Amino acid sequence: MWRSAGYRCFGPKGLLGYLAVRTFSAPALPAGRITALQAMDFWKRHFVERGVTEPDHSSHYILAYLLGAKTIESLEQRKLTEFLSPEKTEQMWKLCSRRLSRMPVQYVIEEWDFRDLTLKMRPPVFIPRPETEELVELVLTDLQMKSGTGVGADNQHTCLEVGCGSGAISLSLLKSLPQLKAIAVDQSQAAVDLTGENALRLGLQDRLQIHHLDVMKEAETVLSLSSSVSVLVSNPPYLFSEDMTTLEPEIFWFEDHAALDGGNDGLKVIKQILTLAPQILSDHGHVYLEVDPRHPPLIQRWVEANVEDMHYVETRHDICGRPRFCILQREESNRDHKLDLD
Amino acid sequence: MSRLLPFISCVYSVFSPRSSRVISWRGSPSISPLLSPIPTGLTRVLAAGKKSLVDFPVLNEDELKEQFVRGSGPGGQATNKTSNCVVLKHIPSGTVVKCHQTRSVETNRKRARDIMREKLDVFYKGELSEVVVKKKDLELRKQEKKRKATENLERKRLFKDALAADSKPGNDTV
Repeated sequence: MWRSAGYRCFGPKGLLGYLAVRTFSAPALPAGRITALQAMDFWKRHFVERGVTEPDHSSHYILAYLLGAKTIESLEQRKLTEFLSPEKTEQMWKLCSRRLSRMPVQYVIEEWDFRDLTLKMRPPVFIPRPETEELVELVLTDLQMKSGTGVGADNQHTCLEVGCGSGAISLSLLKSLPQLKAIAVDQSQAAVDLTGENALRLGLQDRLQIHHLDVMKEAETVLSLSSSVSVLVSNPPYLFSEDMTTLEPEIFWFEDHAALDGGNDGLKVIKQILTLAPQILSDHGHVYLEVDPRHPPLIQRWVEANVEDMHYVETRHDICGRPRFCILQREESNRDHKLDLD
Repeated sequence: MSRLLPFISCVYSVFSPRSSRVISWRGSPSISPLLSPIPTGLTRVLAAGKKSLVDFPVLNEDELKEQFVRGSGPGGQATNKTSNCVVLKHIPSGTVVKCHQTRSVETNRKRARDIMREKLDVFYKGELSEVVVKKKDLELRKQEKKRKATENLERKRLFKDALAADSKPGNDTV
């Protein structure tokens, strides 16, 4: 289940993370046998000593993973008082040592869950956030309504995702809607590869096209892929460049900065997506975006001033009440649009 | 179940100035605005008199409050916290459900609601049974009282009759 493969280094930040593992001395294996509870307790205290964030969650998730479960709470309590085998103890020590370098838990155990899917994780491909699960719910509601209406119930819808990362959004939609087809693009080859792997693991590869494309530089190619797309969805890089420096080490050292940095105002990629949207979407098609809480009014103003044929529908909030999702719609148009890429 | 038009009322409470943890309590987004909001327990009581009983109480999202831990910053891409435990509170009954069965917040939220429905079913069914039992008991006592009262009256009547019969002439009962 768990391979003793090292993790890849990706440029300076990855190397820094790698070096950090080398400089931190990992604690020695226990002399005798210990129980799961004792192992978790030991590592929780060690994480605290070393300033590793979420010390209890980290040790819990790693141990649960080793015992074949998702969370400690889902395990039979008596399992936690059983002795760990020497192999499991060694694995616990190895994985927790990786966490000492501030590697995110998701990369340590090389997997994470998104809605009802378990996805493979690999640095530096962006780790899905819980907020994005709600983005998928919004899109699902929309597509279910679109499938329900119309004569003959034409369920052949296509969605396009910009910046697919590990494939969380597209694969989640495909899993929930058996009739859906999806096109996913990402500027990172690592992301394209990982999405492909996850698609195969989930048996969804037949309904998913994945393309290695940069929406900023290869807009025409993106447009050539899309015909009658009902939904355009994206969790694009939306952080403000100045906020990149305040990111916690888990993110700054290990995740692809290109998946996070949205430029000075965080809107670089968002604006490009919305500029292309009228040509990507079929009439009345929708755009669903996850954004920074400061963005919605900025996006609304910008679209009204700069993008004909798209109108701002509404802003939705995430589970913590922050403005997080922007919904826009392509208006009906009879005119032929010429691509204008200044 | 599709969720339409969630509405949110959010209360933030910062646990300590130094801590970066923010727990937000919020009213739950309504699952469907088409259902008129009826108190959960009342649904059961109304249904009890009918032939077909509702199995589980309908959860009214207006009566629920949810708790998450997501950090004090902007959240989203800027945060990678792995804690996705959900705490769900049913205000009218004070029932609290905690769910950390999975690594998905959305799944934990759904499961918390399933568990809440089960708990509320026991809660309200339990009450209902008690009410019914009490009622039956009261009814039985009333009937007993009545029966005894009737018996007493009957005895009195018979006694009176007997006395009347005794006091008739020709009877030698001094």
